[in-house]
Amino acid sequence: MRLRVPMLVAVAVVAVVAMVLAVGCGSDGDNNTAGEPGQPAASQVLKMAWGAEPPSLDPGLATDTTSSNVLLNIMDPLVRLGDDLEPAPALAESWDVNGKVVTFHLRDDGRWTNGDPVTARDFEYAWKRTLDPKLAADYAYQLYGIVGAEAYNNAKPAQAASLREKVGVKAIDDRTLQVTLTSPQPWFVQQAAHHSFLAVHRPTVEGHGTKWTEAKNIVTNGAFKLADWKHDASITLVKNEEWRDADKVALQRVEGRIIVDGTTRVQAFEAGEVDALDGGGLPPADMPRLKQLAEYEKYPALGTYYYGFNLKNIPDINQRRAMALAIDRQSIIDNVAQADQIPATGMVPQGMPGFEVIEQDFLPTRSDIEKAREFMGKAEVAENAKHKITLFYNDAPGHKEIAVAVQAMWKDIGIDVTIKAQEWAQFLEFLGPPPSDAVYVYRLGWIADYGDPMNFLELWTSQSGNNNSRFANAAYDQLIEQARNTPDDEARYELYREAEAMLTGPEGELPFMPIYWYTYTNLERASVKDSFEINPLDQFDLSKVVIEEA
Amino acid sequence: MAAYIIRRVIWTVPVVLLVILVTFLLMRQIEGNPFRKTERAVPAAVQENLERKFKLDKPWYVQYAQYVKGVVTLDLGPSLVLRDRSVNDIVKEQFPRSIELGLYAFGWAVLFGVPAGIVAALRPNSRFDYGAMLFSNVGFALPNFLVATLLIYYVSLKWGLLPTSGWESWKHKLLPSLTLGLVPMAYFARLVRGTMLETLQADYVRTAKAKGLRWRRVVGVHVLRNSLIPVVTAAAPLLGYIITGSFIVENIFAVPGIGRYYVTAVSARDYSVVMGLTVLLSIIVILANLLVDVLYGILDPRTREART
Repeated sequence: MRLRVPMLVAVAVVAVVAMVLAVGCGSDGDNNTAGEPGQPAASQVLKMAWGAEPPSLDPGLATDTTSSNVLLNIMDPLVRLGDDLEPAPALAESWDVNGKVVTFHLRDDGRWTNGDPVTARDFEYAWKRTLDPKLAADYAYQLYGIVGAEAYNNAKPAQAASLREKVGVKAIDDRTLQVTLTSPQPWFVQQAAHHSFLAVHRPTVEGHGTKWTEAKNIVTNGAFKLADWKHDASITLVKNEEWRDADKVALQRVEGRIIVDGTTRVQAFEAGEVDALDGGGLPPADMPRLKQLAEYEKYPALGTYYYGFNLKNIPDINQRRAMALAIDRQSIIDNVAQADQIPATGMVPQGMPGFEVIEQDFLPTRSDIEKAREFMGKAEVAENAKHKITLFYNDAPGHKEIAVAVQAMWKDIGIDVTIKAQEWAQFLEFLGPPPSDAVYVYRLGWIADYGDPMNFLELWTSQSGNNNSRFANAAYDQLIEQARNTPDDEARYELYREAEAMLTGPEGELPFMPIYWYTYTNLERASVKDSFEINPLDQFDLSKVVIEEA
Repeated sequence: MAAYIIRRVIWTVPVVLLVILVTFLLMRQIEGNPFRKTERAVPAAVQENLERKFKLDKPWYVQYAQYVKGVVTLDLGPSLVLRDRSVNDIVKEQFPRSIELGLYAFGWAVLFGVPAGIVAALRPNSRFDYGAMLFSNVGFALPNFLVATLLIYYVSLKWGLLPTSGWESWKHKLLPSLTLGLVPMAYFARLVRGTMLETLQADYVRTAKAKGLRWRRVVGVHVLRNSLIPVVTAAAPLLGYIITGSFIVENIFAVPGIGRYYVTAVSARDYSVVMGLTVLLSIIVILANLLVDVLYGILDPRTREART
């Protein structure tokens, strides 16, 4: 009798083991139809991992990369950007730029998934909706370059209706969209590739309220349709056979799983559950191993990782020069950051149009301790040198290791650094502007919204909400304002060069010191590695992806 | 008993109100702007529009009153970050998955932890006993993120037996529930063994044996029933463990539940999601404690008198 209970346990254990083994032996039913390597595979189903649940698939409300990339694959933008960041026709077949007036000419075969034609009115409606103070869109300011946009977004309820009429976007007819800007912004056509400038289908938006983005309600106009969206679990896209260029789209289906944790994402890839990640970054701790994989891929990004100086606490330019020269950027990349980043010598990143003109050569990629000590000596003579400073960073993977490396490098020029971590939301409040007096040095980064150096250089104007260094220079502000009104590229790049020199040139004021320019790193199976491409603005176009026989 | 239950249920109301107030004040105390998610500064007009939309421009006591009214009418408000969804949507869609995960974890514990403890107690100092207790110690000591990582590494990556993550078929559910169930399992095994050993020494067990009762009946009726009381008591605090454990386990295994939202909502300053989930979880913990007290009364009639 007494043996009965252990027997039961034993039976249960055996049952579970058998179950597990049975699972292992089951085949996955891969369709291994034989084909030549490099030829398109018979099954065009891409399995990929998204790095986050899209917070919103409403073009007016989306602000993050994941939402943006889902949107740009289910909606047709006016223009699309290639790797060179030049705008290429998409839904707009052409455009004219006449000073402050930009006119887009739409194709006549744009169709919503319910069969309605896509018209210029859809764009006018969408943009004005995003600016509507009642919608309260975070990214309404992306449209502030349009005349009257900011005023409407800022309107009190009583004036809203009249200010809405004054916004400079107008559908002249079904296929002509006229936009009036506050100044001739040569980057505006490029900016129209951003998801904030997508059209929405008015009857759907008004008919379903906040639920219009659910898979069962949404009406889209892009290469893929949103077939299914299980929140926090999966996003399934299917090819839109009615799309204007559908015969050029190979993929039939994109089965996306939402995996937030970086390590889990990599494991799902390594277990063969997904064939591509979305470029949302690989865990820094795993980089040395992942870089060795044949599936590893990197793309240049338009982004600058920098350490800002609080000019109130480190007022001496020679000390800032010393600090900027003392750090070994290449060594930080090789030994700490490890994602093939590029040592940054200025605010405007490599790959940005006009970079060759703007580039400065004052800051070295390797440290120059001799020169650094010399500058530090000058600061000491002037009795301005600060030897005990604080360095603040936000508590996310990778930042601490860089801070520790920089701490060691600054010790060589006699600066004692206390490093302090803060949680992201608190950190942002703490930096102001103006930054808290406790801050001497802070970590931040900037990723481009559009491909013009303006997007980086206007950060350091005195009224900028992203200037956390207390840097204020009227000449600099004026230069940026002048550039804003200079449509000619060559002339404008020249102004940018002057601006960059005021920041990071030999006579520059160094309100910050750049560390590296970002890269996007990804894992992609050989079958899609050739066609899955991420552009410098972190966008990928699934309509170009072809699954090849491996 | 009925009066006791009613009294306890009524007491839930002020407790929940207090939970809301404390969470509400704590969330407002920590700095951070829910509308600034990246380093990009938020223009003043945009900030104002957002605050107006989400009624954050009202004084705190008005916001609190509105929130309480929302809870009473079962409307937990819109998420400040997931702009297309309300907290109700999130709870409705994702809470059942978390409950499922929690129940499976509990299932592992009851299915394996309790029998292991019983067998170990019936055959003390045997190999099985040592094995079970070693397993229990190890299970108790290992943090669940390590267990999760090891399980994924071996079971999914090396041996290819189960998927690494997700929540679709039972194959996906095995590893996360086992990870979460390990500590309760280990705890139950220890607890049951200890109380069983104690009960086996009791006079009434000896009497029952002496009367010539079949051993199976002695164990099944007298020993088990009395040994399980502490297990029931332990179940409620373990629920707390399962909830907090799910924050980590859901994240590692990409389980689309609410546990991992809780953490991200705090860092994103998504006030309404944090509040909604806190209220929900506290109601569950309160009810679980109530249930345990009622069960306690059924298993051990002596405790009933003290309350009525």
